[in-house]
Amino acid sequence: MIILKSWLNDWINISNIDDNKISEALESLGFEIESTNNIEPNYKNIVVGKVVDIYPHNNADKLRITQVDVGSNTYEIVCGAWNFDVGAIVPVALPKSHIVDNFLIEKREIRGVVSNGMICSARELGLWDEHEGILLLEDSLAPGTDFSTTYDSQDTSWEIGITPNRGDCMSHLGVARELSNYFDIKISENDFKLKSKIANVLKTNSGKIAECNSYVSIEIENFNITDSPFFIRYRLSQVGTRIINNVVDLTNYVLYDIGQPLHAFDRDKIFGTVSVRKAKDNEKILTLDNQKRSLNKDDLVITDNDIPIALAGVMGGLDTEVTKNTHNLLIESAYFDKVSIMNTSRKLNLISDASIRFERGIDFNLQLKAINRFINIFSTNQDINYSSPIVDDKKNIKNKSVSFSNNDIYKILGTKIDNKFITKTLKNLDIDHSITNDDIKFVSPSWRYDLERPIDIIEEIAKHYGFNNFDSTLPIGNNRNNLGDYWNSKTFFSQQLRGKDYQEIQSLSFVDEISNQRFNPEKKYVEVYNPIDSTNKYLRSNLFSSLLNIYHSNLEKNSVSSKYFEINTVFDKGKHEKYENIPNQLYTLGVLTPSRVTNVDLRCEDKTFDIYYVKNLISTLIGEFNVKYLQKPGFHKRLSFLILKDEKQVGFFGQLSYELMDDLNLEDPIYLMELNIESIDSTFKETNNFIPLAQYPFIKFDLSFTVPIDFIASDLISFVATKLDKNENNIDIFDDYVTEKSRNLGIRISTRNYDQTYSEEEARGILDMLVNEIQDKFKIKLNKSQ
Amino acid sequence: MAEINLDKIYASFLLALEESHDSESLSDLQKEYLGKNSVISEERKNISNLSDLDKKKFGKTIKDISEKINRDIENKKIAIKRDTYENKENSENVDISIDWLENTGTKEHVISSVMSEVAQIFSSIGYTVAHGPEAETSWHNFDALNTPVWHPARYESDTLYIDKKLDNLLRTQTSTVQVRHMQENKPPIYIVSPGRVYRSDQLDSTHSPVFHQIEGLAVDDAITFTDLKGTLEFFVKEFFGSNVKTKFIPHFFPFTEPSAEVLVSWKDGDWLEILGCGMVDPNVFENVGFKKGTQGFAFGVGVERLAMLRHNIDHIKNFYDNDLRFLRQF
Repeated sequence: MIILKSWLNDWINISNIDDNKISEALESLGFEIESTNNIEPNYKNIVVGKVVDIYPHNNADKLRITQVDVGSNTYEIVCGAWNFDVGAIVPVALPKSHIVDNFLIEKREIRGVVSNGMICSARELGLWDEHEGILLLEDSLAPGTDFSTTYDSQDTSWEIGITPNRGDCMSHLGVARELSNYFDIKISENDFKLKSKIANVLKTNSGKIAECNSYVSIEIENFNITDSPFFIRYRLSQVGTRIINNVVDLTNYVLYDIGQPLHAFDRDKIFGTVSVRKAKDNEKILTLDNQKRSLNKDDLVITDNDIPIALAGVMGGLDTEVTKNTHNLLIESAYFDKVSIMNTSRKLNLISDASIRFERGIDFNLQLKAINRFINIFSTNQDINYSSPIVDDKKNIKNKSVSFSNNDIYKILGTKIDNKFITKTLKNLDIDHSITNDDIKFVSPSWRYDLERPIDIIEEIAKHYGFNNFDSTLPIGNNRNNLGDYWNSKTFFSQQLRGKDYQEIQSLSFVDEISNQRFNPEKKYVEVYNPIDSTNKYLRSNLFSSLLNIYHSNLEKNSVSSKYFEINTVFDKGKHEKYENIPNQLYTLGVLTPSRVTNVDLRCEDKTFDIYYVKNLISTLIGEFNVKYLQKPGFHKRLSFLILKDEKQVGFFGQLSYELMDDLNLEDPIYLMELNIESIDSTFKETNNFIPLAQYPFIKFDLSFTVPIDFIASDLISFVATKLDKNENNIDIFDDYVTEKSRNLGIRISTRNYDQTYSEEEARGILDMLVNEIQDKFKIKLNKSQ
Repeated sequence: MAEINLDKIYASFLLALEESHDSESLSDLQKEYLGKNSVISEERKNISNLSDLDKKKFGKTIKDISEKINRDIENKKIAIKRDTYENKENSENVDISIDWLENTGTKEHVISSVMSEVAQIFSSIGYTVAHGPEAETSWHNFDALNTPVWHPARYESDTLYIDKKLDNLLRTQTSTVQVRHMQENKPPIYIVSPGRVYRSDQLDSTHSPVFHQIEGLAVDDAITFTDLKGTLEFFVKEFFGSNVKTKFIPHFFPFTEPSAEVLVSWKDGDWLEILGCGMVDPNVFENVGFKKGTQGFAFGVGVERLAMLRHNIDHIKNFYDNDLRFLRQF
């Protein structure tokens, strides 16, 4: 909302307070300052003139020649506007003056007549967007007066954010009230009294529903639809409102002035009793913007003999609109229920200055005051006749008295606040209260909906005390330097992977269906009910698709094949393992390893990786584990394995299927791995027993066996290890040569005795023992060396 | 006479030494001057012909000169070795300005590193990391946090739901973790919860349907507003540096009261909003079954915002495109 200093000054005398001080005050009171604007005249040397004569221009039908008295002299000025007559008071730009955008006005010949300047429109003076005619000023202004001194041409405006709990601050009066306590300056009183001259023609009431707590109306006769007074147009244009006519401008003015939305009906278009009710399902109304709106029973309507004539609190109806031909008015000032107005305005996507104020709650005692204010300003500027107001107030809304222990203030805020300060603040804020050293009792004023509980008053006191005036203390928690298992395991995995040149990514959680189906056709996916993008409306059930996308896009964009990981949540519709009523979601580590990685050192060949590298990587991450072959969708028929830790399934790894490689336009095989982080005890620390270091030289055998294709090499290794369990051993596979028909497996055994050096004979004996045992056990044959 | 001879020998040695440029010629020289048949050996043979006094004197002269020759040769050997290696090293040039191995090793994604850093800062004052589900019940995301049923945050235009009845949603704030944590633990509680949150926002320069937050919660005996101030001032100084200025301005959140926004300014620049905070609203404690009079504070900070401010990142999309050129910068 935009507020104007000169307008605030109507309510609280702040004209002598520096703008920066006011900004500081606004901010410390919780108004977020979006911008501050110093208003300066957009023109130079404009004077007030009086048109003393008008005659035609001989060479131009559309122009007239005027004689304008500017005090010191009378000048002949050519003018193209026709909205004035002799006697009009107008702003005049004499030669050497500047109008809007620094445009210099000079003496100029217009079709053979010398014009000594120009009579200006509001737009030409940078005031507001009106250019159909020249700007007519008040008759009381003396010719020759400097125009910029006739109104608050030097002013300041602030665009401020108002939090949703403070609907009462959505007016100049509302902001002035807050400033009143800050600067300790009293709010001005307004004691205008109505003097009705006519009888009411219409009957009005607030209906039978609780959603309209009060309905106040007044009728006005004998008035003209015209421009509103200069100061109203000036102020409304500064706060960003379109200028329309005196009636509409004035309803807007009262709204920005004190916060009560008003609505003006053409009284002559209403024929019966005006009331308020809920709309019927499918009931229609044609609103002011010429749209046919279909309503339902959640909406409130103003009715004329039960026929809807306005959408209460949101928008008027076209049929009862005030037009140029309106002669009599019915002005409505009502209190409508917050939630009801909010629902209607959101549903119809009709958000107006009025609806926003109703939504946040307006002062429930303001309705009659607003009518007063409206009449007060209207009657000052035009001689009007008006009825006495009809007030139908159900008085359903009451603010309760609340009391609490005075000590609670200190208990919550941690700084001792003087009783005097509290009393002064509550008094300035019009909060009814009594205070002792033990207790505080309060009733909030009719415009405050945010003061219902002790904590609300404590906040109010803290705010006015100034948040920045509080002490600072630093409590220390009970878990110093312990990030917890969850964060520690994430950090551990991340560190390990980064140490091996894996790049961490963070990708969006939304994917299309195929991204889930590729790898998890068996799962039911969590679907966003109101997705932002209907293609990617699923939550991902795996991290593989995201990893592959990022891998691929960087390969395309940057020609770099790199290793990636992501730690994030995957979702499916299964049961959550810990909580009820929410879908299954697993905190997951996903790792992508391409078989070829671009070497950043360009002197070298690309690096190559294979499934064994991935297997090794897993042991770095989770310690000892077992694998179990399991064919999974999207993966290579043979290279596809479950990761088992302590017999529990904790993850999966494998090579992307060739078919998917082809689908995704990938040339190099890709290895993928997924670990369910929460199922792994991150505190894993396997404590091995020390294996003593034998002091004697080792003996070494390289043995090659012909084995079946599906032979399991690790069985051979562990078998040899059991045969040599008294020794210190190094047993490794050094060769695995597979052809279509046969497979040769080479095992390297190096072994040391703890007590002696082996003689050649003993070594031979061990070799023979091993070969025999192996051939016997596995039914495989030693290949004779060439 | 003999001395004169020796002087001559040494002089000629020096000449020869000058001419020797490798270890081989030095060995030859050593043989020639100190070996079995060398001139010095010849001279030594003459000692027996001298008087006792001269014997002693001449013997010493010979010894001295032998040692001198030996030392000269050793020195020359060292010099030659040094020269050889020096020459070798001088011929082995690199242009160290080339970064052949530029960008080896990887860093965390900047979102993760900011989360880690914030978690570390709070860990240093006794907070532990808590986590919880991202797909949540509306109760945990809104009701428990004192958000009225009519609150705009609940609109489908703001929040992503995963069922028609709007009972389940993608959490819009990590405060859900605080609710879960309070349901499962009793005070004292000191936690931070970093994680992913979701809003119904199109991806533009400052909005993303997915982003990250870190929320913190302290519930303990007599936790006060001054504690909240002190804690967040500590955090801001740790994260942005000690020359940063902080101010607290009143704000409104359904789940805290009083509520504030924290603004920071460093290098005397503009004031920038970085986090929201407040004393936990009594209704929230009631919703999780804590006894009346429980006090605590909560705060929340946007991870992307911290990263954008600190590194001058202009578009939130960068975080989720995962372009290597971006990833490698942090």
